[in-house]
Amino acid sequence: MRAGNKLLTLLLVCMLLCSGCAGNNGKTEPSETSDKQSVSDRAVTTESRELFAMDTVMMIRATGVDAKAAVDEAAAEIERLDALLSVGSEESEVTKLNRNGGGVMSEDVKYLTERSLEIYDSTGGAYDITIYPLMELWGFTGDHPAVPDAKEIERVISESGSDKLKINGNTLTLGAEQGIDFGGIAKGYASSRIMEIFEKKGMISGLVSLGGNVHCFRTKEDGSAWKCGVTDPEHPDDNRYLLGILHCSDQAVITSGGYERYFQDESGKTYHHIMDPKTGYPAKSGLTSVTIVSKDGTLADALSTACFVSGEQKAAAYWRSHRDEFDMILQTDDGRLLVSEGISDAFESDRSYQVISFEG
Amino acid sequence: MKKTEKTIRKDLIVIGSLLLSGLLLMVGVLLFSRDGRTVEVRVDGAVKYRYSLSENRRVTLKGANNGSNVLVIQSGEAWIEEADCPDGLCIKTGRISKEGQSIICLPHKLVAEITSKNAESSGSDIDAYVK
Repeated sequence: MRAGNKLLTLLLVCMLLCSGCAGNNGKTEPSETSDKQSVSDRAVTTESRELFAMDTVMMIRATGVDAKAAVDEAAAEIERLDALLSVGSEESEVTKLNRNGGGVMSEDVKYLTERSLEIYDSTGGAYDITIYPLMELWGFTGDHPAVPDAKEIERVISESGSDKLKINGNTLTLGAEQGIDFGGIAKGYASSRIMEIFEKKGMISGLVSLGGNVHCFRTKEDGSAWKCGVTDPEHPDDNRYLLGILHCSDQAVITSGGYERYFQDESGKTYHHIMDPKTGYPAKSGLTSVTIVSKDGTLADALSTACFVSGEQKAAAYWRSHRDEFDMILQTDDGRLLVSEGISDAFESDRSYQVISFEG
Repeated sequence: MKKTEKTIRKDLIVIGSLLLSGLLLMVGVLLFSRDGRTVEVRVDGAVKYRYSLSENRRVTLKGANNGSNVLVIQSGEAWIEEADCPDGLCIKTGRISKEGQSIICLPHKLVAEITSKNAESSGSDIDAYVK
């Protein structure tokens, strides 16, 4: 065979292969493998469900023997907590407590109140469940938020403060004119409860996203870490832009950002929904996004708000004294990305970032 | 047998024309094949409609609570043009076209999400988006 012919054959084969690839691209590819995956046991299945609760859309996914039962129980738990904690429902326990200025708390509400008070104290009041009347005043509890009168804000702020809450056994007493809302902690608590259900049900893998609050159970089915994309506050609706990807297992990953809910006044000025409990106005701490990573979803949820309100310096100081409990990713309004030491190896980004280290 | 300049030139012509036709074929495939992107519409977690993003249309979707949302697909983009929900957030979300992007209407328990037939092979391998 001549050298030229060989070359020709080779080229021809190459081109056929290439065009073959291009032709297949975008065409059918069997991808229905995920639902009934036989890992080693035939009874191991993956169950995914989308549901609407707590004013958001949720995704629950579990892999294990009888995954459906685990997801059913998780969904039921969310419904139960929503019915207990929703400020939008006239009949919820929280609404009744608010209406009556207190009352006897269920186990869940007591736990959440105690945890909230703990975080209120440790963050110097940056996370405060008693700002519910302030949220109402701003209209963030309804569909038409607007800037309230400054005097009204001052009046509401003078009544708020978790330090005015009194707990006596199972009984909670609110301060005058006070109202509480667990909106900043409920989804984190719910995801932690789901992890307990997955554990109890012997699941081998699981992932939930409660309106963007992600909590992963163990690892992926193949043993590799879950990959969580952290939203870029500049492009919240476009998944192509990300602050980075966090590799995680058995962790809650929860973000607070002003981009989640906001409105503009007549002059075009933007007001977001994360209130500084001290000023009564949207927090202006120099941060545009705070992501907390922790095994404890309840803590992660509350701290994402508290650190957003506190700002970079205070958040870093708080992390240094509590670094065994959580890690964090901060984005500042001057375009800097900061990642605490504990997750710097698990965080993958094509952007430059600064590591917040223990030594400071 | 020794190659003459003439046969080498013939070889080159054949190689060249084959390369060119291969290139044209690839360009054609890229331009005219549908890329497999669809708009998947789910109501209360169940898939109700699936529309190709390469077919222009304007449809009224039935959501939960007797709600309706008007979905428009045009030039590879999808958006909600009208809706009778109280907040209208689905309209404000604007246009989506990239795999994984979605429009959510909470009052109607409706999610319109861009999905791709070859989701496993192309696109991202990210399991969840934190926001």
